[in-house]
Amino acid sequence: MSSTANTPARAKRTEGEAAMTDPVVSVSDLRITFPTLEGRITAVNGISFEVPKGGAVGIVGESGSGKSATSLALMGLHRGTNADVTGDITVTGKSLGAASDTVVRDMRGNDIAMVFQDPMSSLHPQYTIGNQLVEALKVHRPGVSSADARKRAIESLDRVGIPNAAKRINSYPHEFSGGMRQRALIAMGLMCDPTVLLADEITTALDVTVQAQILDLLDDLRSDLGMSLILVSHDLAVVAGSVDEVLVMQNGDIVERGDVRRVLAEPEHPYTKSLLAAVPRVDMSRAQRRAQVRAEREQPASEGLGEQAKKAHEARRRVGSADGGAAPQRTGAAAKPEKSGESADAPLLTVRNARMSFKVRGGLLGRASDFYAVDDVSFDLYQGETLGIVGESGSGKSTLSRMVTRLLTPTSGQIHFEGRDITRLAERKLRPLRRDIQMIFQNPYSSLNPRVTIGDSIGAGLRVQGENNTKEIQRKVQELLERVGLEASHYNRFPHAFSGGQRQRIAIARALILRPKLVICDEPVSALDVSTQDQVLRLLDELQDDFDLTYIFVAHDLAVVRQVSDRVAVMRKGEVVELNDSDAVYESPQHDYTRELLAAAPVLDPVEAKKHRARRAELRHRSAAA
Amino acid sequence: MIRYIFRRLAAGVVLLLVVTMVVFAIFFLVPRLAGIDSDGLAARYIGKSPSPEAIAAVKERLNLDEPITVQYWEFVSGLVMGQEYDSGADVIHCDAPCFGYSFKTNTEVWPQLMDRLPVTGSLAIGAAVIWVVAGVSIGVLSALRRGSVLDRAAMMTALAGVSLPIFFTGLVSLALFSYYWPIFPPGGSFTHFTDNPLAWAHGLVLPWITLAFLYAAMYARLTRAGMLDTMGEDFIRTARAKGLAERRVVTKHGLRAALTPIITIFGLDFGLMLGGAVLTESTFSLPGLGKFAVDAIRGNDLPVVLGVTMITAVFVVICNLIVDVLYAWVDPRVRVGA
Repeated sequence: MSSTANTPARAKRTEGEAAMTDPVVSVSDLRITFPTLEGRITAVNGISFEVPKGGAVGIVGESGSGKSATSLALMGLHRGTNADVTGDITVTGKSLGAASDTVVRDMRGNDIAMVFQDPMSSLHPQYTIGNQLVEALKVHRPGVSSADARKRAIESLDRVGIPNAAKRINSYPHEFSGGMRQRALIAMGLMCDPTVLLADEITTALDVTVQAQILDLLDDLRSDLGMSLILVSHDLAVVAGSVDEVLVMQNGDIVERGDVRRVLAEPEHPYTKSLLAAVPRVDMSRAQRRAQVRAEREQPASEGLGEQAKKAHEARRRVGSADGGAAPQRTGAAAKPEKSGESADAPLLTVRNARMSFKVRGGLLGRASDFYAVDDVSFDLYQGETLGIVGESGSGKSTLSRMVTRLLTPTSGQIHFEGRDITRLAERKLRPLRRDIQMIFQNPYSSLNPRVTIGDSIGAGLRVQGENNTKEIQRKVQELLERVGLEASHYNRFPHAFSGGQRQRIAIARALILRPKLVICDEPVSALDVSTQDQVLRLLDELQDDFDLTYIFVAHDLAVVRQVSDRVAVMRKGEVVELNDSDAVYESPQHDYTRELLAAAPVLDPVEAKKHRARRAELRHRSAAA
Repeated sequence: MIRYIFRRLAAGVVLLLVVTMVVFAIFFLVPRLAGIDSDGLAARYIGKSPSPEAIAAVKERLNLDEPITVQYWEFVSGLVMGQEYDSGADVIHCDAPCFGYSFKTNTEVWPQLMDRLPVTGSLAIGAAVIWVVAGVSIGVLSALRRGSVLDRAAMMTALAGVSLPIFFTGLVSLALFSYYWPIFPPGGSFTHFTDNPLAWAHGLVLPWITLAFLYAAMYARLTRAGMLDTMGEDFIRTARAKGLAERRVVTKHGLRAALTPIITIFGLDFGLMLGGAVLTESTFSLPGLGKFAVDAIRGNDLPVVLGVTMITAVFVVICNLIVDVLYAWVDPRVRVGA
């Protein structure tokens, strides 16, 4: 049925090649609204754009900007939902608005294929990868034999760089890593040679090196297959090196559009400017950033505010900070005792040869073997400094931070906190320590109990440590809520009433209520939009000054880590491969792996991004030859 | 996969051993704790006003004065290899799965259990087919047409099904379809499938439907909830984006994922039911295991109660074993953690 339906489409495609000016996708005055309890919400507000044949367009915006609603509309996936879509969408010459369900189904995957975000949940867990790929082909080419479809699936997997594709085709999704699943999803999108590939946030959940590989792959596919690409992302740096034209969306409108080089170099709209400013840069050092943040903090106090506000501001700065007034200047070097006048005393935290092993079942008869999640890690951490721990998933960075907080007991090695050996302290004796070491977790949605008001969530720490006066708890919590940028009146609200960034502020307040000495931030901003990310990082910076905190900052994003860390430890497979002053690590990396990571970090300058891509290709080529 | 099955099998055997211990403890120790000594137990076999000699003989025969460990060993080995009851004068042999002798009839328990098993089995299998087919399809339809008249009607009926007890629906259906309109037999009789399949089905229609009504209601609600969850998953969106027809999205992608938890529940329900659908069998006077157990409990016939308990436990363990294996086959992720 669909093979006959395809013939005209194919014919049209060749015509289109003759007349290169014909766009493959054209959207005019697209408007999408959703009914909610508070009335209709406009997700997309009359936008128009075109994608030329073989061209690449990036759609950039933060959550709620309407970019995902737009991409679903391109696939006709709002059909059957309560979304109201008006305006016209034409894909490879076919208008979606008037088309029947059958025509739209024929188009999906065949003319325009969509690759989704979150590879962990976008593949059916109960069918093999091969089954799902073959299905994508056979639905549009019922005439193809099973053997041929399978061959095509293997080719497709091979194309996206799945090693040993002929064997891996029989694997289930859970047997693939996140990066491999994302590749499998792309391979699925390529099964019918679509004219347009629509990629929605496909690298968001991935490590930097994998992200770079996937983006490189899309670039190759585009040039090899002459496919058009629509790349949707919240991150300007992700689209920078991969598209020709970029559309910046805000609240359902396209606020800026144009050649990617122009938009990134000379943004016109204030929103684009603020987005660009918020993107963390690998080439900006900690010292630069802190200087900037401090300067901006001083400004409102001396200029915009009245006398009283200035006093309040000063008072706020003194909260928790024993030495008051001027915040101590810290650089990476200053954190080391021999070079520092300020903290010449013993380290706050010492980790010596820490190892953590887990039993892994496998092999014949299910014999267990040891797997070292953290292998022989040692470092010192001084009062007031920030140690960044950077590494990809599976590098052991989270395990390490859980060992430091003694949520896990190390298999071997020692951990000293304020000179005291806490490696094997009993849970009861750990309790006072829990006050001094706090954690901020990655996912602000799941780390807050949805049925407990945020006031109770934050105040729970005080109760556990013996405070019984409810009024006193409320006062302390409200004071802190204001300090982290929320309002005292938020005390009785539940977590669902807050955005991701606000929840992370709540999580920060919860960690700080006990006035800890050491705070471990485990990927605190990786679930947030860039501009929110920037705000939360600023807050963490300010709080470090005000409360004299020491941070261990765990993240996979190199740029973020550079901006907050005095020293950086690079982890891979449970080992620290490089540990040095932050600037030294980024400017003259000593280890190959650090260099590899830095080469993979996305950059904002499109020209620079292309250079990085070439360098990665060369690195790959060299390792393939070796 | 084979290793997985093997491991489950071993676990099943261990579980059954534990079950024998618990059953033994309940039926042999609890009467002692309640103050009934071995004389009292032995007296149960003999009937009214037993003579001391008769009691002594029974005690000798059943080893009631031996230490607990010996009695337990006798009990377990009796189950596996059969048992010899030696009362001095004559030797009675009790064949392989030996559950002892009924207090009431003084006959072996095992053959009686086997007599009643086909009744319970017929009831359970027929009802299961009806409730799975009806429950799952109603659940799926309800989920797909969420909020529609069909959905609301189905869920209301399901609520009624869950809340109305079997003896109520059973009696109403008997009153209507057996007395008022005499379409079906009034119960109390059972024809073996091998004797006359038509009569077999005819006699069981009412019990099947009565029993299935309750379970279909529960399964419809379960399936509906499962389908609603699954149809919101990202992989469903992926399936639609491939260009699959909605019917295929629902059956191949949605149902497969939604049914896995239902398989687990089904294993438990079905296993339990094979040990006797007590209410249904009593309502329709079917001579199955459930009714057997009820009569035994009423008559304080411990060996029979013990037999039914054991056989129920065995069925539950076996059904669970099958479910575990099925589950691993249906959901590949289970095999990893095995």
